[in-house]
Amino acid sequence: MKLTFPYMGSTIIYQKLLQLLDHEVIMPPRPTQRTINLGVKYSPEFACFPYKVLLGSYIESLELGADTIITSGGHGPCRAGLYSEIHLKTLRNLGYHVDMIVFDDIYHYPKLFLERLRMIKNHKSFLQLIRAIYTSYQLAHAIDSLQKFMEIKQAYELEQGAFAKAFEIMRQKFAKAANTVKDVQCLQREGEMLFSSIPVHEPPESQKVRIGIVGEIYVVIESSINTGIAALLNKLGCEVTRSLYVSEWVDHALPRFIKKSDTAIIKNSKKYMEMGIGGHEIHNIGHMIHYKEQGFDGIVHLMPFACLPELITQSLIPKISIDLDMPILTLAIDEQSGAANTLTRLEAFVDLVRNHKLQKAG
Amino acid sequence: MTAARIGLPTALMHSYYRSFWKPFFEELGLEVIETGPTTKAILNKGIRYSVPEICAPMKIYTGHVLELLDQGVDWIYIPRFVSIRKGDVFCPKFLGLPDMLKHTIPDLTSKMVTHHLNVKHENIACMKEYLEIGKLFTSNYRKIKNAVQTGRKKWLEFRKYCVLERYNCQTANGKVFTGKPALQSDLPIKIGVIGYVYNVYDDILGMDIISRLYKLGANTVTFEMLEQGEIDRQLRGYKKRLFWAFSNKLLASAHQFFRDATIDGIIHVTAFGCGPDSFLGKILEINFSQSPKPFMTVRVDEHTGESHLQTRVEAFIDMIAKSKNFKE
Repeated sequence: MKLTFPYMGSTIIYQKLLQLLDHEVIMPPRPTQRTINLGVKYSPEFACFPYKVLLGSYIESLELGADTIITSGGHGPCRAGLYSEIHLKTLRNLGYHVDMIVFDDIYHYPKLFLERLRMIKNHKSFLQLIRAIYTSYQLAHAIDSLQKFMEIKQAYELEQGAFAKAFEIMRQKFAKAANTVKDVQCLQREGEMLFSSIPVHEPPESQKVRIGIVGEIYVVIESSINTGIAALLNKLGCEVTRSLYVSEWVDHALPRFIKKSDTAIIKNSKKYMEMGIGGHEIHNIGHMIHYKEQGFDGIVHLMPFACLPELITQSLIPKISIDLDMPILTLAIDEQSGAANTLTRLEAFVDLVRNHKLQKAG
Repeated sequence: MTAARIGLPTALMHSYYRSFWKPFFEELGLEVIETGPTTKAILNKGIRYSVPEICAPMKIYTGHVLELLDQGVDWIYIPRFVSIRKGDVFCPKFLGLPDMLKHTIPDLTSKMVTHHLNVKHENIACMKEYLEIGKLFTSNYRKIKNAVQTGRKKWLEFRKYCVLERYNCQTANGKVFTGKPALQSDLPIKIGVIGYVYNVYDDILGMDIISRLYKLGANTVTFEMLEQGEIDRQLRGYKKRLFWAFSNKLLASAHQFFRDATIDGIIHVTAFGCGPDSFLGKILEINFSQSPKPFMTVRVDEHTGESHLQTRVEAFIDMIAKSKNFKE
């Protein structure tokens, strides 16, 4: 059984988990134009963009020799819950011999969930399984905390690319050496030291521009398909905070008694949306309000083209923007998006945000 | 004192539940205003107030709501469809519809009558959901109960015509409200039309595809003619059904149509940007790739011209007629 998984965010987290369980892992290559082209070719035209990218990515992993895909399921109303079904149908129809291990909601199908766990735990004991999961969970948190730090300080780096280089070094170290929780903690401290040693020039508080990124999980997390939007904003001199990281997404899926996720932030969205409609919309709206309270200067809302829940958020944004007195830019991402287009729109947006800030300051 | 006027936007689920809503509100002593068939003007109003990327049916619904506001009604009924079968839900756009309209159309909030429709059966006429709506207009419990019952009776009559006498949504509504029987004659060709009621029966989106087919010599069957039990039976083979109530109905009806030897061809009518249909279409494409039955997908949006639809439908029917002659 050669396992592979969907490409989203720092893939070493999933790689680590599977390696700790003694599986043979085929790393999916970072999505490129070829991946997107492959995905688009075999997808329905109006399927959402993440569906297309993942299909392309699966095909590339299968070409590398993988035969089993591990992925998450869902129970609607967002289309993402059906990805696994349609992906599998499409891949088999294309002639690939492939199996899927789908982790559906534990509350809906507890038996199935346990069965799947047994499948991936290999010959290890449940204790070892739990330890492996906990280690990768900590790893996700460590990497994300470094990334958060980077996306803020990178705006002020003196030598361009210094943070990116340091992050790559740390990523490789994590991939190689983070096998226990202790390793993870050591490496995280090492990373923090490395990052704080990078020379930065911080402007006075009044000139800092803080941008929050909200949106659909895949396009927010996966930098290879959102044209590296966080780094672009950093280059334009803005601090960036995202509403979603892999670790937070995991926290969100955990049962309440283990981890309390940001329910207070979500509650904020009640004014605009009465109920969750399947995606990250209440999360996003809550975060927009939260960013305002935190004194952010602008918000970028990312969505895949024709994303069902985010279209509703997008419809609400003009009103929210007026209510919060906050510039909000919506960018729809699909196979047609180009880096130049995104950059131009971001530049204009950052100019607007700076002006808005100056005006408010009087 | 004249009766308060309540507006029902004639879009989305309206044609499926008209026979319940109209008598229900009339029993409550309200005057019911319907916007009628979609016109270019209504559509243009809707487009102005909605996000460009959103699907055409949503734009049309927005247009109908604006039309009602322009007509100066006192209330506008905009239900939030959550679920009409255990385990099934509606498309996220339906779930967020009242929120979306409330925050995009100014002055709507005070006129909007909304509630969550979260029931276990497609028969939505139950006191649990409609008591709070009734209470807005009367404090008389018995009157509300009466109104729900009257509505339910009409709606069941509507379903009876659909399931037992093979009326489609439009003709069944005609039969229930005006007593006009449907045009039925023995035509040589029978086509299964798969599509949501708000696409197929909309004047702008569906462009009256049913009567177009009729004129070309083809009878049509649609998903309304299947009852819920039959739908669940057709979908038994699926480990994971689709999430969306009406998409499941379409999927089941597609299975039924492909199996039914008397049906000569199948047309899938879908709107631009419809998320559920993108997956439904793929499933049909893969599951029935081996079937000898002709299958065509027609995608419509607010820019679709009539001649485009006419040409494609004509070619489809010609092809079927030819192959039928050939076989004979």
